[in-house]
Amino acid sequence: MKKLLALLLALCLVAGLAACGSAKTETPAKTDEPAVTEEPAKAEEPATEAAEPAAEDEEPSDAEARTFIMGIDAEYPPFSYLDDDGNYSGFDVEICKAACEKLGWNFEVFGVNWDEKLIQLDSNECDCVWSGMTILDSMIESGYVISKPYYDNTQVLLVKADSGLTSSADLAGKDVAVQLGTSGESLLNGDLADLAETFNNVITCDSFLKCFTELGGNAVDAVFVDLPVATAYAAENEGYTIINENLGAEQYGIAFRSGDTELCAAIEGAVAELVSDGTYAAIAANYPDIVNNLLFLN
Amino acid sequence: MSLRTMILKMSEGLGRTCAIFFLTLIISLPIGIVVALLRMSKNRIISNVFRFIISVLRGTPLMLQLLAVTYGPYYLFGFSVSRNKLIPVVIAFAINYASYFAEIYRGGIESMPVGQYEAAEALGYTKAQTFIRIIMPQVFKRILPSITNEIVTLVKDTSIAFTVSYQEMFTIGKQIANSQTSFTPFVVAGVFYFIFNAVVDFGMGKVEKKLDYYR
Amino acid sequence: MILEMNHIQKSFNDLSVLKDITFGVDKGDVVSIIGPSGSGKSTLLRCATFLETINSGEILYEGTVAASTPQGQDKAVYAQKAEIRRMKGLFGLVFQQFNLFPHFDVMKNIMDAPLTVQKRDKAEVEEEAIALIRKMGLEGREHYYPCQLSGGQQQRVAIARALAGKPDILFFDEPTSALDPELTGEVLKVIRELAEEKMTMVIVTHEMPFAKAVSDRVIFMDGGVIVEQGSPDIVLGNPTQERTRQFLQNYSR
Repeated sequence: MKKLLALLLALCLVAGLAACGSAKTETPAKTDEPAVTEEPAKAEEPATEAAEPAAEDEEPSDAEARTFIMGIDAEYPPFSYLDDDGNYSGFDVEICKAACEKLGWNFEVFGVNWDEKLIQLDSNECDCVWSGMTILDSMIESGYVISKPYYDNTQVLLVKADSGLTSSADLAGKDVAVQLGTSGESLLNGDLADLAETFNNVITCDSFLKCFTELGGNAVDAVFVDLPVATAYAAENEGYTIINENLGAEQYGIAFRSGDTELCAAIEGAVAELVSDGTYAAIAANYPDIVNNLLFLN
Repeated sequence: MSLRTMILKMSEGLGRTCAIFFLTLIISLPIGIVVALLRMSKNRIISNVFRFIISVLRGTPLMLQLLAVTYGPYYLFGFSVSRNKLIPVVIAFAINYASYFAEIYRGGIESMPVGQYEAAEALGYTKAQTFIRIIMPQVFKRILPSITNEIVTLVKDTSIAFTVSYQEMFTIGKQIANSQTSFTPFVVAGVFYFIFNAVVDFGMGKVEKKLDYYR
Repeated sequence: MILEMNHIQKSFNDLSVLKDITFGVDKGDVVSIIGPSGSGKSTLLRCATFLETINSGEILYEGTVAASTPQGQDKAVYAQKAEIRRMKGLFGLVFQQFNLFPHFDVMKNIMDAPLTVQKRDKAEVEEEAIALIRKMGLEGREHYYPCQLSGGQQQRVAIARALAGKPDILFFDEPTSALDPELTGEVLKVIRELAEEKMTMVIVTHEMPFAKAVSDRVIFMDGGVIVEQGSPDIVLGNPTQERTRQFLQNYSR
């Protein structure tokens, strides 16, 4: 029963993601879930661009509250994911929502297709990409405005506990899965290309779930993945261990379109307020797997 | 990355794309005939079973079938996931396309004038001889345009193999696109598919011409 | 007797099409069947050639039972499949719509059944096919496809195809009805020549002068029964039955 449920869930998830992958012109939000608009004060009214800021809210001085669209990968727990009730949730989502409340902005979530996230950002489908995103030099070179890093990310190898694999050197001649469009994949193509050379094959999957399924089904020997994701998965599923060699320590940040420096500054300012008034720490407390890597708290 | 390197890298995946394409056709074209015949069986149970199978295969996305074939056995029974992804990919593609081809065959077979069957029957042909010598050659000519359509779709559908992490041409294109933060690989992929289909169009056009000797 | 049909009953659903038809064809006979449309004459031919199954009655080819209705039962029983297939070799059938195989050329249309069905020697069949093509006046058309031929030529190929199986009896189902009037002559001429060669034939037709000229016997059917049969002079010239007379009057008008 549990397996069946898992399969069903898995199929739903991957179908959703894959649907985006196959039809580039379609926005995933249109095909999958409608972008969730959350505005607690006006729950009974659908929030629209022109929705007047509620009179009972004191902060916004201008008549037009702007709507801030947050671009996320809805399959990236614990930073951004669909919770049990089908709402977008996760650390990044909660922080962004709180930041928008501080700024008096309407808050919307838009599920991007992760390997095309920057194209979607450029085409105004969202105002930022904020979803456990690794800051890459190529992004800065391409002119995107990138926020101050807020999270220190480390790539690890998730292997089966009974595999006897204990270091990256053991993986010579083995198959390793990595999610397409993640920092892990960029690392294997860049800084860690020498390590990747020793592998038999690098298999790129379009979601973490598939990477883990490949590992569970013995189609690969290891998954190269962000530490918190690996930690969460190993905690929930028996028989997996993590090889942590501090490979490719990287940092997470928020990407904005080039020229959106002011927007970036506004969000950074709001987040700073959240940090100082303790909201940030309170939210982080719900995400024990990542709390140690959060730069603003350590 | 230079355009040349990009094209070379993606060409490596093109071999896998071709493998999906040809194996799918080789398997699904004949299976489609068998399925069409079972679908048209006078036995109500058999024909209904196959009607149902065809409607499921045509009514659900190929992507889901691909996932079900690749990962279903693992989730349901704990079987290993195949390391050679070509096997589940071709199985899923072949059964999916066989069901489309089956319906095309059925349409073609049912469109044949009854006089052809009667003439063959009066001349003493067996059912099998009638089907193979008289009916199918004419059906092929009739359905060729629809078959061409499906084949063109198949060329593009090969990119769906990406869903189960089969490293075909489009997957490699996506990888390059990511690591280079560049849109160019998609353009290259588009050109590849277009050329592939131009070849398919040309080939099928030749076949159609060849069958043009009668009406 | 080459063909005997006794007490044939045939109905489609509840519509009775053949009501107790009995007739026989002797070797060398040329029998024409005439009658208004819906009289059951084509159905009779289709029953004789096994394209339709009879409900009850008896069909014999050269004394061998193809179908019979056992005493006390009301449903006809057919002989074994192999036996029926053997009997199909005894007759040839020419359709109103020719029903040539469009993907075969003239030679192949004629030769395919003898080679595929009867598994005969290719050289021999080819020789016979060439002779048949000459007989049908189709020299030079050996490698034409049906779509390249006129209706009259197609029907002559169909006759050659029926003859290639060396049948003892040839059935024609309105062989000229689908042809333009100016093309019927060439087909009728071929049939007349076959009659002169003493080919046994059963012809369902609307061509009264032709039936009169070529037939040994004419059968007039109406409403699923044989109303009258006999020599063409009597049936077509001076019929004994009122219904025959009416039909012929309507026809000539």
